[in-house]
Amino acid sequence: MSIALRGVAKQFGEFAAVKNIDLDVPTGALIALLGPSGCGKTTLLRIIAGLEIPDEGQVLFDGRDATLWPIRDRNVGFVFQHYALFRHMSVAENIAFGLKVKRRRERPPAAEIRKKVSSLLELVQLDWAGERYPAQLSGGQRQRVALARALAVAPDVLLLDEPFGALDSQVRHELRRWLRRLHDELHFTSIFVTHDQQEAIELADTIVVLNRGRIEQCGVPSEVYDVPTSAFVHRFLGQVNELPVRFRDGRAFLGPIDISAAADVRTGSADNIALIRPHEIEIGSETLGWPATVVAVRVIGPIVRLELCAEGQPASERLEAEISRERYAGERFKVGQKVGLRFRRWQLYPAGATAG
Amino acid sequence: MAAAEHSGGIGPRLSRRLLIAVALTFLGLFLALPLLVVFVQALSKGIGSYLLAISDPMAWAAIKLTLTVAAIAVPCNLVFGVAAAWAIAKFEFRGKSTLITLIDLPFAVSPVIAGLVFILLFGSHGWFGGLLRAHHIRVVFAVPGIVLATVFVTFPFIARELIPVMQAQGKDDEETALSLGANGWQTFWRVTLPNIRWGLLYGVLLCNARAMGEFGAVSVVSGHVRGQTNTMPLHVEILYNEYNYTAAFAVASLLALLALLTLAGKSFLEWRQPELRRAQPVRDRTRRQIT
Repeated sequence: MSIALRGVAKQFGEFAAVKNIDLDVPTGALIALLGPSGCGKTTLLRIIAGLEIPDEGQVLFDGRDATLWPIRDRNVGFVFQHYALFRHMSVAENIAFGLKVKRRRERPPAAEIRKKVSSLLELVQLDWAGERYPAQLSGGQRQRVALARALAVAPDVLLLDEPFGALDSQVRHELRRWLRRLHDELHFTSIFVTHDQQEAIELADTIVVLNRGRIEQCGVPSEVYDVPTSAFVHRFLGQVNELPVRFRDGRAFLGPIDISAAADVRTGSADNIALIRPHEIEIGSETLGWPATVVAVRVIGPIVRLELCAEGQPASERLEAEISRERYAGERFKVGQKVGLRFRRWQLYPAGATAG
Repeated sequence: MAAAEHSGGIGPRLSRRLLIAVALTFLGLFLALPLLVVFVQALSKGIGSYLLAISDPMAWAAIKLTLTVAAIAVPCNLVFGVAAAWAIAKFEFRGKSTLITLIDLPFAVSPVIAGLVFILLFGSHGWFGGLLRAHHIRVVFAVPGIVLATVFVTFPFIARELIPVMQAQGKDDEETALSLGANGWQTFWRVTLPNIRWGLLYGVLLCNARAMGEFGAVSVVSGHVRGQTNTMPLHVEILYNEYNYTAAFAVASLLALLALLTLAGKSFLEWRQPELRRAQPVRDRTRRQIT
């Protein structure tokens, strides 16, 4: 089922949670709503689910106006961060719930429900746990039960509200891959909410970045990461270094480096900042570009992070650079060592639009 | 171990014992002893006269009336308590804090005043007195008045017990049930009610104990008509005023027994409840500590 939002807005008292949102989710897509807390992503998800009614705008399901449809008529599966399993029911009873509450003439016979439940238990790899109670399962297992329960009623859309937020990182990673496989096999439309950019990049086909109730950018993960359209998106997806652009004699500089040749410098306007990702900083011998001192070295798995104090910069404003483990094995940068910097890539934004 | 005890000094140990001793003495003097006296007095002239006192028709009438009143008042407050707690815990609306304050009103107002209010409203010279007389309905000095007063006084018990339970549980379970296609009624019976059952039972227990034991408000509206509008606590008072100590304490012992049963039930629920209520969060917490 395809979902479309047209000019959706929702206010809670004085607080405008979402403002004038337009969004198209094609059938079978896996979309991430990404943003910091309070950006309106959960409200948007709840509006799609029918748990909130928007003050303005329309929600369209396959082109039909579903804005006022009650949740039970929307055929959506909703998965909460804290699983919301019915704790007085066994795992099997939890999964069967959606089938048992169907109207009499739509309700499948008991034997069929049992069969459906056991096939779902197998799907979520919990066939041994049917008679257990939620309290006897781990967090990752509970979230899988919640997913199976949502899938039992064969929803057209699966909505997940920070589904992996309460799990430790190992389990989170496993569940992400598992959910991606499930999505590819079963072809339902999925929308999930997250504040974790890593999760959004790993899992989604399309990322919708939200900020203060508005959509900042919408695109495939690599596009949103590599070509952010605003400083907010640039900062929110991954680490960044921020440097002011200085102008002297009609030329633009980052530190001592002349960047006037770059096409996107709006020469003369004195309020530009450059955002540079750690892996976009090139480190070489002292004669290369901008002299700097290594102040910290940390090996993080496959990468090595260097903190650098560039000449002429205040000591508190360190630059963060990342190099590969292989490169580090060859060159062994040490704390206190003098090096030179160059920037492979940067992106300029008006400094006024720094609010995030 | 020894060193730790030594460094702790004698002070804390002594004060601990002292505090326990004071608490136990008070409990014994003001709670256990009176309870014991009730039973001793009731049985002072032998089991025969005890049974005779209880099986007296007037005593029987009082027992029946008390049970009837409780059987009406408790279900009323059950429905009201669940509805109010549901509204307060699961919805945002204007006047919510006023509603919470109003629920506590019966705790704040003296029961005698509550009784007087009903006389003012429904008594023969009260606001609705004329209307009621015209339709030959008796409220004050009759069973309806006693029920009204009891409902008023025991109004907060169930709601008060449920509000924190329901607030702690949030709306996720209900919203999940709705998204799975359940209607409001199915959601209530299959999800909400099982989630709150222990808290609800606890509230009902306390509500019932108070409904049967209420004296002040009921005393004002009852009119003390023997065999007709006398509840057990009122009957105890009448017997006592007639110097019929054995009978008075015999009926009182039944009320005391009710109190003991309530306490037993209450501690049973308290023992059950945390098991069920904390089972999930505790595991979550331990997991979080590990990670």
